[in-house]
Amino acid sequence: MGVNLYTNYGEAVAMILFGIGFANLLLQTNLIKKIIGLNIMDSAVYLFLAEKGYVVGRIAPIITDGVQSVERYVNPIPSGLVLTGIVVSVSVSALMLSITIRLYQRYHTLNLDEISLQLKKEGR
Amino acid sequence: MKETFSIMIPILIPILTGLFLLANPAVKKRSVLLGIVSAGLIVTAMSVFAVILGDGDSFTLFYLTKTLPVYFKIDGIGRLFVTVVTVVWLAAGFFSFVYMKHEENEKRYFGFYLITYGVLIALDFSGNIITFYMFYELMTLLSMPLVLHTRSREAVMAGLKYLFYSFCGAYMVLFGIYFLNRFANTLSFTAGGVLNQELIGGREPFLLFVVFLMILGFGVKAGMFPLHGWLPTAHPVAPAPASAALSGIIVKGGVLGIIRTVFYLFGADFIRDTWVQTLWLSLTLFTVFMGSMLAFREKVLKKRLAYSTVSQVSYILFGLAVLNPAAMEGALLHVIAHAFVKCTLFLCAGAIIFQTGKTRVDELRGVGKQMPILLWCYTIVSLALIGIPPTGGFLSKWYLAAGALDSGIPFFGWFGPVVLLVSALLTAGYLLPITVNGFLPGSDFDYEHLEKREPSMCMILPVLILTVLAVAVGTFPAPVLSFLTDVIGKLV
Amino acid sequence: MDMIRSFPGMSIMLCLFAGIISSGMKRKAACYLNSALILAVTAMNAAVLYYTVVTKEAFVFVMGKFPAPWGNELRAGMLEAAVAVLFCVIMLLSVWGGRKKLDEEVETGKHNLYYVLLNLLLSSLLALVYTNDLFTAYVFVEINTISACGLIMIRQIGRTLEAAVRYMIMSLLGSGMLLLGICMLYDLTGHLLMSDIHEGVLRAAAVPEYRIPLVVSIALMVIGLSVKSALFPFHAWLPDAYGYSTVSSAAILSSLVSKGYIFLLIKIIYRVIGFEFFCNTHIINVLFIFGIAGIIFGSLSAIKENDIRRMIAFSSVAQIGYIYMGIGLGSELGMAASVFHIFAHALGKALLFISAIGLTDVSGCSRKFIEITGSGYRNKVAGLGFTVGSLSMVGIPIFAGFVSKLMFARAAVGGREKMLATLIALAISTILNSIYFMKTVIRIYTPNPDTPYGSVTIGREKQYAFAIVLFMVLNIFFGMMSQPIVDLIHAGIAVLG
Repeated sequence: MGVNLYTNYGEAVAMILFGIGFANLLLQTNLIKKIIGLNIMDSAVYLFLAEKGYVVGRIAPIITDGVQSVERYVNPIPSGLVLTGIVVSVSVSALMLSITIRLYQRYHTLNLDEISLQLKKEGR
Repeated sequence: MKETFSIMIPILIPILTGLFLLANPAVKKRSVLLGIVSAGLIVTAMSVFAVILGDGDSFTLFYLTKTLPVYFKIDGIGRLFVTVVTVVWLAAGFFSFVYMKHEENEKRYFGFYLITYGVLIALDFSGNIITFYMFYELMTLLSMPLVLHTRSREAVMAGLKYLFYSFCGAYMVLFGIYFLNRFANTLSFTAGGVLNQELIGGREPFLLFVVFLMILGFGVKAGMFPLHGWLPTAHPVAPAPASAALSGIIVKGGVLGIIRTVFYLFGADFIRDTWVQTLWLSLTLFTVFMGSMLAFREKVLKKRLAYSTVSQVSYILFGLAVLNPAAMEGALLHVIAHAFVKCTLFLCAGAIIFQTGKTRVDELRGVGKQMPILLWCYTIVSLALIGIPPTGGFLSKWYLAAGALDSGIPFFGWFGPVVLLVSALLTAGYLLPITVNGFLPGSDFDYEHLEKREPSMCMILPVLILTVLAVAVGTFPAPVLSFLTDVIGKLV
Repeated sequence: MDMIRSFPGMSIMLCLFAGIISSGMKRKAACYLNSALILAVTAMNAAVLYYTVVTKEAFVFVMGKFPAPWGNELRAGMLEAAVAVLFCVIMLLSVWGGRKKLDEEVETGKHNLYYVLLNLLLSSLLALVYTNDLFTAYVFVEINTISACGLIMIRQIGRTLEAAVRYMIMSLLGSGMLLLGICMLYDLTGHLLMSDIHEGVLRAAAVPEYRIPLVVSIALMVIGLSVKSALFPFHAWLPDAYGYSTVSSAAILSSLVSKGYIFLLIKIIYRVIGFEFFCNTHIINVLFIFGIAGIIFGSLSAIKENDIRRMIAFSSVAQIGYIYMGIGLGSELGMAASVFHIFAHALGKALLFISAIGLTDVSGCSRKFIEITGSGYRNKVAGLGFTVGSLSMVGIPIFAGFVSKLMFARAAVGGREKMLATLIALAISTILNSIYFMKTVIRIYTPNPDTPYGSVTIGREKQYAFAIVLFMVLNIFFGMMSQPIVDLIHAGIAVLG
């Protein structure tokens, strides 16, 4: 168990980061902190993917020195997935930030609980 | 057995007429409305008789799923119930022509009245339990507007209570159907039952529980203890003709459901001498006694009649629970007798309310001096309900008691008739005081301001006809009895 | 006929492009484009449905030039095509039914954006339905989330903004877990195409030390998707989001968006994990228990609610509980019942939302029960629609809800240990449903003579009336002619696996 964790420390870190991000997104009341949590969570997944996609001793899949053997290069798909994922998470973060700005303009606070309280007071 | 569409005609006519009334804003004049309603009622009644005098056709409307057709079939029990429904529905319908004069939303009332009629006919003609269940639910929903008619807070609460009890009951039935579907060859009603012994394979105790649940579920509509609570609340708040129809007919929907379940799906032999029969007998007897006691204590006339329904319908259920031919004959006779009698009683109550506005029993002193014909009818049908010869009630109770004594069921064989007798005495106790006080108000009664208030012909006539029928069933029972014997022969 | 094979991909592309074009259009033009687009897509998917029913098998359409296992694929069977057709129809009717409200509630000048979002949403839904690639599914899940969030907050009031934030947070938690699950599965099997992963899963399942990671990744995906589809207890965002957004959005969110995720989950269960393997994990029991908890909790909350829209929203929680309960039964019949309930609930809930708006509109736009008293007389079509929807939800014969209840019960009776729990849950929820729905129906038909509000006639709102009538017809059609649909579902599931 311990040895496994040590050899796969990258994945272990990714999981810990995922947990941190998840907890932040779920439990923080401050909207900006929530968004930061979201980004940590997503990054953790990309770290996981990148870590899994890399094999020690191989290089990026660009043919160099005319070597065509598959053994020399890593699989490019995980990196592609990371890129796609980053695009998705950027757009989601942008959307979250824009709603946050809207809410801040309206209620002058970033605290979601306070916003809920004010909404209740408005009574609609 | 042939497939003909003709069986749908009596179902469709009232439903379409009712929908036409509800949807058509052009019908405004009262005479036009009443014309359409009476035409609808009469044409339906004629087509009903035309259909049931034929030789038992069947018709498959459509397939709900591959194995579950919506399917109609005419058989003996169906003929019996549909005749009773038609007579009562016509009588109460014509009674409403006058009664509803001062009520609002007449059109809605008559619209739903007609639709409910069609649904009831469909219920009686249903050929399998799914069809039956479907129209059973529709019956609940479509009779709701009748209960809710006045839209007062009281009526709405009563309507909701009615609905929830009914849904509870209907779900118990549905629960049973789920299992039946697994253990039966078919879901069509077949005399003697449809259970497949191979599929059951030792799971009888469980199926007994299922059949008990279904009896309890249908028992909700029939006002059987422990789920009778809605009946005394819901029936009295409806307009009197509607209460007459509800108390006389809708409760019989539950009775029909139990007959179909016990004799046509599970088979009488399946529950004979099991705990189900014992528990069922005790529940019915308890209900008979309790209903009578509550009626005895009740001061509002319509509520008293509603409690009386609770008690009387359980007479029928008791007869069914005994599971022998004589008792069953008594039960079916009581279906007829009770429908006519209870309808008459409610119509009388309605006529009294309509003419004098009095609802409480103790206000009715001297009412016989004001409207003698009405009170005579009331008295005669009361006697029929108590069971004085030569009325229908006597005959049915005679068969019930004889059947129970013959059955050889320990304890209940003799205890049942005793309870029935006690309850008959209580029935006399809660019905006859009105007659006595009505005709003999006592020496301190104010005769000076008495005026004749006999209701109009249109109200009296249905009451009179029903009274005559209630007596005639007992006086000339031969054709009915031979018909019933024929039906029952295949079942028990 | 071969052209039909490209229809799924084409319809997704069409929606995407229509979304882009709409952003530069005026309101009217965007609106017409949207209706025309949905009609066209409906026709295309109907053709796909016909094709698959005739050929009795599913087909795979390769997107781009790379063949499997590298390229991206779409896959269409009967079930996928049927779901796609139904989604299109419901979306069209929901938009038609809510058009008037839409014009009032969305800021002027932003109407075309609404149609952009709708087109995007449709494309992502179709992609979720048809895709054969897990990562593509993830990307479209996110697109779906973003456009759904837009649909919620296009009506700019405080409540919807807050609801949108809460919706986004929950959704992001869900998609985070989904993504992690997909990555772990990719790590285990080395594939992204569903059929290839399935082979990998079978191989991995045979090795004991791979079993735990496999179950963990499956659990992550399942929980992620169930969070997104608002399974109890992850439903906190739902009442506000459905209750305050503009009515078309509410109808579409409740009957399409959450169903899209559930359908994706069903696909994953059959095509990726394998039904047998899934049934042998404990995840299925968790889904079953939460489904039942959702049924009861949702119904209880709905009873307490004093606001008709929020009541309907809480009823959604209960109905989604039904679907998960069916999945949790772990049998073919249970799954078929769940799929049928996806159809039945989508039809019923959209109808309820659309007709509720008609009722509140004739009650001074107040949604409190006290104000909508008697509104069934003031807007007859809406009253009728609400009654039909309620009866379907309660499960009265001849309406679609009854058939799904019958199917759930039949599935439960076929099983062993979960039988009693299912039947009791069905019983309790039937009674609770009838309490709050029938209470409302009676209220809208209780006359209120001193109401200050006027009534509307059908002639003034033809499109609205048409949408409601068509919903009712569909509902009754599903209730009465259920057999061909049930056959289709069974055949579709067989092809799926």
